[in-house]
Amino acid sequence: MTSSYVPDVRIMAKQDRARLQSVFSQELSQIFDQTVRPVLEDGNSLENEANETRLNKLLEGRSESWSCSFCQVTFSDVQQQREHYRLDWHRYNLKQSLQSRPRIKEEDFNKKTENDDVSSISGSEEEEEDSLDTIASAQGKIFLKNQQGLVFSLYRGIFLFDKKEEVSSLDFFKCYKENCCVNKQWTIIMLGGGHFAGAIFNDSTPILHKTFHCYTVRAGQGGSQSAIDGKSGGSHPKSAGASLRRYNEQALVDHVRNILLTWNADIEKSSLIFYRASGPYNRGVLFGGKEPLLNKSDRRLRTVPFSTGRATFTEVKRVHFLLTTVKIYESLNQAASTVSNQRSSENNSPKRNKTRTNCINRAKSREIVQRPLPGEISLSEEEDEEKIELNNDVLEVSFDDLKEFGDSLTAEQRKIGRNKKKPRKSKNQKLKEREEERKRHLIDVTIKGNIILLEELFQKRLKTFEEGCLTRQELCKEFFNELLDEQGNSFLHLAALNEHEDLLKYLLDNEADPCLKNKNLQTPYSCSASKVSRDVFKQFAKENSEKYNYNKAQIPINALTDEELAEKKRAQKKIKKEKEKEKKRENHIKQKEREQIDRFLHLSDREKRALAAERRILNSQGKVVSRCFLCGSDMAGKVPFEYLENRFCTIDCLKSHRLKTSLNI
Amino acid sequence: MALRTNFESKNEIGVFAKLTNAYCLASIGGSEIFYSTFESELAENIPVVHASLAGCRIIGRLCVGNKNGLLVPSSTFDQELQHLRNALPDSVKVQRVEERLSALGNVVACNDYVALAHPDLDRETEEIIADTLGVEVFKLTIAGNVLVGSYCVLNNRGALVHPNTSIVDQEELSSLLQVPLVAGTVNCGSSVLGAGLVVNDWIAFTGMDTTATEVAVIESVFRLNEAEPSRITQEMRASLIEGMS
Repeated sequence: MTSSYVPDVRIMAKQDRARLQSVFSQELSQIFDQTVRPVLEDGNSLENEANETRLNKLLEGRSESWSCSFCQVTFSDVQQQREHYRLDWHRYNLKQSLQSRPRIKEEDFNKKTENDDVSSISGSEEEEEDSLDTIASAQGKIFLKNQQGLVFSLYRGIFLFDKKEEVSSLDFFKCYKENCCVNKQWTIIMLGGGHFAGAIFNDSTPILHKTFHCYTVRAGQGGSQSAIDGKSGGSHPKSAGASLRRYNEQALVDHVRNILLTWNADIEKSSLIFYRASGPYNRGVLFGGKEPLLNKSDRRLRTVPFSTGRATFTEVKRVHFLLTTVKIYESLNQAASTVSNQRSSENNSPKRNKTRTNCINRAKSREIVQRPLPGEISLSEEEDEEKIELNNDVLEVSFDDLKEFGDSLTAEQRKIGRNKKKPRKSKNQKLKEREEERKRHLIDVTIKGNIILLEELFQKRLKTFEEGCLTRQELCKEFFNELLDEQGNSFLHLAALNEHEDLLKYLLDNEADPCLKNKNLQTPYSCSASKVSRDVFKQFAKENSEKYNYNKAQIPINALTDEELAEKKRAQKKIKKEKEKEKKRENHIKQKEREQIDRFLHLSDREKRALAAERRILNSQGKVVSRCFLCGSDMAGKVPFEYLENRFCTIDCLKSHRLKTSLNI
Repeated sequence: MALRTNFESKNEIGVFAKLTNAYCLASIGGSEIFYSTFESELAENIPVVHASLAGCRIIGRLCVGNKNGLLVPSSTFDQELQHLRNALPDSVKVQRVEERLSALGNVVACNDYVALAHPDLDRETEEIIADTLGVEVFKLTIAGNVLVGSYCVLNNRGALVHPNTSIVDQEELSSLLQVPLVAGTVNCGSSVLGAGLVVNDWIAFTGMDTTATEVAVIESVFRLNEAEPSRITQEMRASLIEGMS
């Protein structure tokens, strides 16, 4: 921190082409008038103005609603308003208003676009002011502008108590008068690394100053002794050096206190107090203790807004000089340009500014990055004209004859070329038209399904080509496989689409190819509308199985002959009949079963029991289950007579048994 | 008629649905209730389509459209685009737009005749909007906000804008759009109208939190209760009688 680089002011001034002035000088007091305003707030103040005028308008109750509030113009009708919204001027003003900058008038905008100094609507002009802002805040400076348009830059500390204070709410003129004109006495105190340097300046001459140094910082590791003591807890280092430093720290505090107390009267008188005390220890010297040397809430108190070297008297003088120096620029532009120069040398300052605001304001429009288009070719005007002419040439001629790069031709040569081409072109066109006419006729005929007319046409065609060495078959092939319309439909397609089976048959017999596809990739078979016409294709495929690749034509070729078909049908019928028989049989069985159930349900309980018994017997396959209780004869199939759970085959057996064994009741 | 609904208990239904006079897009969600709300009201008249854009459910904020067309961001998948083309009527042109500001629903607000657009929108995009949607495009801000699609909702009869819009701006906008215009809120005071409200010429859907007053404002500014029988007797009577005599 102590060895940070501070550029020499004089060199800086030379670079900036700005005048340097002391804050206390007569000249400054003359130019620093009551109208002084911070430059950075310029846009805002104007915006307020705009709001006021808007409000006024509202209060006046002007009913003119055809207006644009961004450009503050009114129109006589809607059409004008709508047109206005498409103008670049409107867009530019829209951008301006989003960046809270004042609108510009139409004339100014036109001037700007003429000069081409604005990349019109993107509003990239903001650069300079932004950079001014960033530089200013990074350096702790503020840019002020007076009525004459002069711009001063000086440290914020002269006016503002701390960073958070609002710039706009301040009366700069009053501050300036108080701090720099009425009372020119400033105090500067610097403390760090065991060094103390303090001075009280009146105007630019030091009236009191004192510098001293104590050995408090450990030479090897750095850091103050008290910090080390604090870290190591209870056991303090007991070396001679450690105790020496400990003693010196205390001595420094006492010493500083003594000095400042003796200066107290002068410090009280001074209008501003700048101090530099980094770290808690150094600050503790100034603000700590039971009776702090300086009051923290003192409105005159400021920190030194830039980095400084070791606290010595020369350093204190340098600090005072820097603080009291005002840079005066002739105009805002000059300030901006010098600042932007500076910016390129100090690259890190805007970066720092960026990291400070890490939240993106989505409500504001983002800055547009203008990137060069890839492969942008800059052509001279003449070249452009040449190109346009050439293009015309190409357009007029219907076929290309590689004249596109005919730069070497003179105008006359080109004319001759053009003349030559004209008749050929027209002939071509005529041919084309005739061809189209013929095709249209053919399409008509095919759609109507007129075979006779088609035959006639074909014969005519045949005659014209009779002299040629082509055979009839080849001619057929050529004639009937022509693509007729834009969909790439051939004769077959059209015939299939319009369900002319006879025509289909005729065409297929005359070498029309069923494999041709139209632009929808449909073959004639797949685009035929009815089953009848599909059958025609199938029939043809069956009869001429070798002629075409029917897979390609999408015609199913495994179709069977009539007899085979009949046989198949018969077989199918047979199977069907058998199935029916089976069903009938099943039904019969089911019915029987149902009848039996019905009968069973109608039986009396006794009969049911008998039936069950009978079944049981039957199930036991011949084994006798129940025998007569008396005679022992087989009772299967009979309804037994019973009493007291004894079963008998006949009533006689029962009777005899009863008689034999009298009832013992 | 204005109906209240919600999407998975979120009030921002404008984020998950897009409603125009020719179609309605509802985002694919966990439950079908949201979709069926639209379907029960609209299916008789216009197709209600399940959709996602670039795999996202926030379709209402990503696309912009009217009865003439639908513009989707360049990040939309081919499959989604094909699905939309299949599902929407043939008269609706569906097109992808290469635009840096890809949330088209937030940066463009439109009805069948006019579109309001973000000031930073590309010129090419502006042209595509004009061609595909058949509208006039105006670049402006609404109450200082550039996201015109979020802070303004319009149909062919009326428009609702951000509550902070000044009276002068409202007059100017209304003359530009040629429809009556009101500053208002939805969802119990939310100024993000585009997210809380979808509307076409005969129906509006708003978030569940929308208060009765807000609903009343919406219905009156968008002229949604014109189909009432009393209207017929009151307003059409004269012309009807004239026609019959």
